[in-house]
Amino acid sequence: MLNPLRSEQEAFRFLLYVVVVVGVITAIVLVARAIS
Amino acid sequence: MEAAAHAEHHHGPPAPNISSRVEAQFLGMLLFIISEVMLFGAFFTAYFFIRVVGHGGWFPVHGDELPKVIAGFNTAVLVSSSFTMHWALEGARNENRNAMRIGLLTTFLLGLTFLCVQINEYVHLGFAPHDHAQGTIFYGLTGLHGAHVFVGLTLLSFATTRAFRGHFTAKEHRGVEVPGIYWHFVDVMWIVVYSTVYLL
Repeated sequence: MLNPLRSEQEAFRFLLYVVVVVGVITAIVLVARAIS
Repeated sequence: MEAAAHAEHHHGPPAPNISSRVEAQFLGMLLFIISEVMLFGAFFTAYFFIRVVGHGGWFPVHGDELPKVIAGFNTAVLVSSSFTMHWALEGARNENRNAMRIGLLTTFLLGLTFLCVQINEYVHLGFAPHDHAQGTIFYGLTGLHGAHVFVGLTLLSFATTRAFRGHFTAKEHRGVEVPGIYWHFVDVMWIVVYSTVYLL
């Protein structure tokens, strides 16, 4: 399991996941807001 | 008999009693990050209260806008600094001292750029923390994060100085690894702050 506190490598991977997930959520919300 | 002889020759304090199976350094980092998440959580609670319960709405407030584009540029700067930090660590792991030094120095400079742009943003915003509740929360959240960037820069300055003095090897580079984990944490928090405060 990914543990961002174990090493810098895992913390970096965690950061990349956060960038992707937050980016997708933000895009969905902005698109939904634009449509409605 | 042997134990008694050993006790006779032993000087100094007794060996520490390790009652947990979790490594002490890992536990320390875990508790630190948990306390940090709670600290940011308190500020985010105020933010969500204003947006969900309060009727004041979010920006623009009284004609005051948030500079999304400049903050977006700053986000790109901070995210790229995490890539250079990772590059520096890879350099340390592969005994490539030049990559480690350049990576650490670049990370420090990118972090400094982020902080300078944020200070410049504060100067030109046109509203103060006491003007309205939204302003208070904006300055509180971004200022709290800025303080963390400052701490990260302090740690990075130590690591960079040590790297240029010839410290750190492929086996022993904890002095780069720990600031690296902290730096990525600061970056993760900014992604959340930027998306909620500026974009959503």
